[in-house]
Amino acid sequence: MLPARSADGPARSPGSRSGSAPLIDPPAADLVTASGDSRVLVSPAIHTIELRKAYRHTVALEALSLTVERGEIFGFLGPNGAGKTTAVKLLLGLAHPTGGEAMVLGSPAGDVETRRRIGYLPELFRFQGWLTAREVLLLHCRLLKLPSSRWAVLAREALSTVGLSERGDDKVAGFSKGMQQRLGLGVALLGDPELVVLDEPTSALDPIGRHHVREIICALRSRGTTVFLNTHLLEEVEHVCDRAAVIDRGQTIASGTLAELVGTQASVRLQVSGLQAGWWDGLSGFGAWAVEDGWFVVTGIEEAKVPDLVRAIVELGGRIAAVVPEHKSLEDRFLELLGQS
Amino acid sequence: MTPTLIIARLTVREAVRRKLVAVLLVLSLATVGLSAWGFDRLAHTHSVTSGEVEIALPQALILFMFMFSFVVALSASAIASPAVSAEVESGVLQTVAARPIRRSEILVGKWLGLALLVAGYSIIVAVLEMLVVDAVSGFLPPNPVAVAVYLFAEGAVLLTLVLAISTRLATLATGVIGVALFGAGWLAGVVGSLGTTFKIPALRVVGDVARYVLPTDGLWHGAIYYLEPSGFVSQRLAEEVGAGGNPFFALSPPSWPYLLYAAIWFLIVFATGVVSFSRREL
Repeated sequence: MLPARSADGPARSPGSRSGSAPLIDPPAADLVTASGDSRVLVSPAIHTIELRKAYRHTVALEALSLTVERGEIFGFLGPNGAGKTTAVKLLLGLAHPTGGEAMVLGSPAGDVETRRRIGYLPELFRFQGWLTAREVLLLHCRLLKLPSSRWAVLAREALSTVGLSERGDDKVAGFSKGMQQRLGLGVALLGDPELVVLDEPTSALDPIGRHHVREIICALRSRGTTVFLNTHLLEEVEHVCDRAAVIDRGQTIASGTLAELVGTQASVRLQVSGLQAGWWDGLSGFGAWAVEDGWFVVTGIEEAKVPDLVRAIVELGGRIAAVVPEHKSLEDRFLELLGQS
Repeated sequence: MTPTLIIARLTVREAVRRKLVAVLLVLSLATVGLSAWGFDRLAHTHSVTSGEVEIALPQALILFMFMFSFVVALSASAIASPAVSAEVESGVLQTVAARPIRRSEILVGKWLGLALLVAGYSIIVAVLEMLVVDAVSGFLPPNPVAVAVYLFAEGAVLLTLVLAISTRLATLATGVIGVALFGAGWLAGVVGSLGTTFKIPALRVVGDVARYVLPTDGLWHGAIYYLEPSGFVSQRLAEEVGAGGNPFFALSPPSWPYLLYAAIWFLIVFATGVVSFSRREL
């Protein structure tokens, strides 16, 4: 396993795209604290404030504000057309914002030199079909200005990582979509980037391939690489992400750790006997009660209060045959946030 | 290797891998071979006088070179039209543009690669054709190098325009525009020549304006001039009635001011393409 990534060099001072004063404070770097201990504080991997992209008749991104810390796996969630890919393109300089500010690895988004430290797998992953997979990787080694003595090794490692070792010398034109996506992931990982931006990285993969990609993402986390995972697959986010943001209609509508996003409220199903009808009237403080198929269901209860509820029922003289806590899934929360639940 | 050279190398490599270079060379070599046979027949015929052969040889060579100039122009348009637009549409360019490379470096690299292909083809075909004609008939234009340079310049002008358009329009539209403009430019040159011959100012203006709007025909006339034999033959050609209206005849080479204008035209169109591509959303 690779060692954890240390803080990078001094962050660049941010500049304004339009020449006006930047909305974002300069990122901290190489600071010495008041107590005298020298600590290296680095800028967030990604920091945006009210990032906006409007076309003539459409607003693709309304006002995106988010922060992705270094070394975390960040899920970027949203329904189709929410502006996720637009946001990614703005962060990489492939599209130009019409408002707001964005900093990536301490530099204004789109900074040419900073792109050397970023790996990117686009949603529309296509490569020169007339090149072999190995040649595609070598091309990107050249573009990244990696030492030529390492190109062959890096290409071989990348092919191995994404499971294409046997197809390295085949033309990309003959690859399936899944294989091209794997190759794209290999390209994105070249040069040990500090930030890897993956736009729907498993859209063309089978379940085994998806599992493999999750393993790769987890390996990236273990070596301190920041991963910005743009996806609409909630399962993917639940499996690998430390934090996530949900956007809709170009705006962040929720962000935080998965626990924060899902919330601490849950529901619990109980099988209780030995009590008179209406016994729960005195326990309405725990949540909303209902009866479904012979089960008593309490919704909106804090998870930590479930033992208290059980004790209260026992104190009332009830006999509890079963207690089944039901956690809200990310999908439930996602739908709730989008007002579709 | 600089990013620009990486892209230029990639562009040339693509043309080779896709067998574009091989196809062009094989077809052109076949054409040159056929022309060798034809020029040999023409030079050694006994049905006309040697003076008539002296006039016919350069005219026939100009016609052959016109065919090659047509191939150069169409090829330049065909390879430049998808150079940016097709890669944007397919998504190939996204992975490249997300690397530490400027948009200007991508476009300059593509232009450089395509220009190398056009230059290579122009020089090889023009020089080969002239050498073959010299070998079988003994006629060699006075300045073969200038012919090859003008042929390349004509292709480079169209290539630059089409590449610039390719930064904004789809491949098919770009290719059609390139071919249509080239054809219109050549035809406007013919119209201008007729205007000169028959003293119709309006037609002459059409030709003059067209040569400034798109300098391909003006530069092609440079190639024609240097294909013509020096001395009395050209003198006789000039004295013929209607010689000025002959689209395959040039009384004089392009003037230095015109060449300077063509260079400025090139720079402006090239810069427009770079700016356009830099602002393009990928």
